[in-house]
Amino acid sequence: MNEERKVIKYDALVIGGGIAGGEAALNLANTGYKVLLVEKDRSLGGKMILLSKVFPTLDCSACITTPKVSEIARHQNITIFTESEVSDIVKKSENNFTAQITKKPRYVRVEDCTACQLCEKACPVSVRDEYQFGLIGRKAAFIPFSIANPKAAAIDIENCTLCGACEKVCPTHCIDFTMETEYYELHTKTVILATGFNLFDPLEIPRYGYGQYKNVITSMQMEREIAPTRPFNTILRPGDGKVPDKIAYVLCTGSRDATVGNPICSQICCMYSIKQAQLLMGALPMADVTIYYINIRSFGKGFEEFYQQAKGMGVNFVKGKIGKINEKEDGNLILTYEDINEGVVKEAEHDMVVLSVGAKSNPTNGKMFGQEKLKLDPFNFIAQDDLQGNPSKTNINGVFVAGTASAPMDIPDSILSAGSASSEAISYLIQHQEA
Amino acid sequence: MEVEVGKTAKYLREKQGVPEHIKEELKEFNRIKREITNALQNEELTIAQLSEKLQMSTYDVTYYLMSLVKYGIVATGEIDDMDEYYSYKLVK
Repeated sequence: MNEERKVIKYDALVIGGGIAGGEAALNLANTGYKVLLVEKDRSLGGKMILLSKVFPTLDCSACITTPKVSEIARHQNITIFTESEVSDIVKKSENNFTAQITKKPRYVRVEDCTACQLCEKACPVSVRDEYQFGLIGRKAAFIPFSIANPKAAAIDIENCTLCGACEKVCPTHCIDFTMETEYYELHTKTVILATGFNLFDPLEIPRYGYGQYKNVITSMQMEREIAPTRPFNTILRPGDGKVPDKIAYVLCTGSRDATVGNPICSQICCMYSIKQAQLLMGALPMADVTIYYINIRSFGKGFEEFYQQAKGMGVNFVKGKIGKINEKEDGNLILTYEDINEGVVKEAEHDMVVLSVGAKSNPTNGKMFGQEKLKLDPFNFIAQDDLQGNPSKTNINGVFVAGTASAPMDIPDSILSAGSASSEAISYLIQHQEA
Repeated sequence: MEVEVGKTAKYLREKQGVPEHIKEELKEFNRIKREITNALQNEELTIAQLSEKLQMSTYDVTYYLMSLVKYGIVATGEIDDMDEYYSYKLVK
């Protein structure tokens, strides 16, 4: 392909605009370095911006994320590329990296968009909304979600009928279908990898019935249902719109499970399930919430108290391993499980099941580098070359890792990790600065 | 090539066309939207009642109906006596 590449220069490249990448970029920028922050999605904020509340404080997630993301977006030392991907990172020498960046067209000039949503109203197309995890539709001309940053429309070109209705109603004429993919060659001095993690896909465990039984949902779908910007007017079963009153959580779905190739603990599914259970009991006071678990790992600061608080609120904890889930004609679900304490197989009926999915590595981790090979751990997270002494260092000097790109972790640990990575990057920049 | 502001969709449509399946999906959505809005023309209905009337699964009705609520075409009505199912009505 004959693609013209624009040459750009920044002190630091941060890959991933989630909470870890954003924090690392801010730390570098506040120290005076020019940062290019590259995000593959249409908005900054990663997974955290889509959460309802955070554990164990039950603070509003959006209230923490939105000001931070806004600070990143407004910072004069940070340039943001959304809908962009990095490839062929090459280390030429110390303090001298090159990388190729592909920036997909948004078909909207962000600087001119007022987020009036008239294009969204005019668009006739409706497709499943990935930001609501498929629970509801969205238009092909759309603002990804209400607290997205940049808060600007985007065109989903894969599903667009090119009818032009959005263009006709746009008061600022910011929609532009002539936009094309842009190619850049970046010269930078250091790289921070904050590529995050992927949620386990429960379709890999057919006996749980996800996809087949419509009232079996993932924890991220429940997260959306209890968020202020939720898809429904209240918490409903997607199968028939019933308000559920007997909800089950299946912990360790796709984690601590060698049969699906993911024997490691997600570090988060116990606590986010306990958080959701507490929020559900607030939203649906008459509902019974049962958590089926192998072990409750309440290892962090305030976690054990949070767990005890859930018990005190009436959340039912059953030490049980789920064998299979079957659906009844009315959409209710029969869970067959081994009661670990009693050593017997039991059955229980619930009207909604939430699969507390685990964390997997981001498959792009190993594919971004050209000549030098980035070392990965056995589970394809980015290997920390000096885990005990310097956990943000990778095997490539000058390349650092932040947040869940290195291993599953919760939000405070991600932010701490980003602080460590940015400090190391700053130290590297100072050590290797040109005389 | 200079493309007139406000008519750039036409430019891309002529350049790359629109896949048939995208057009079909739009037709399907419009058909379902029409059926749901027609069914709600004179009365409020629950998802189960709509499902029976339209011969569509309750899962599909939930998805399309909730999308229409989001788009401002349908509004949520009252919940039943058992506090289980809401009814839905057209926004007039």
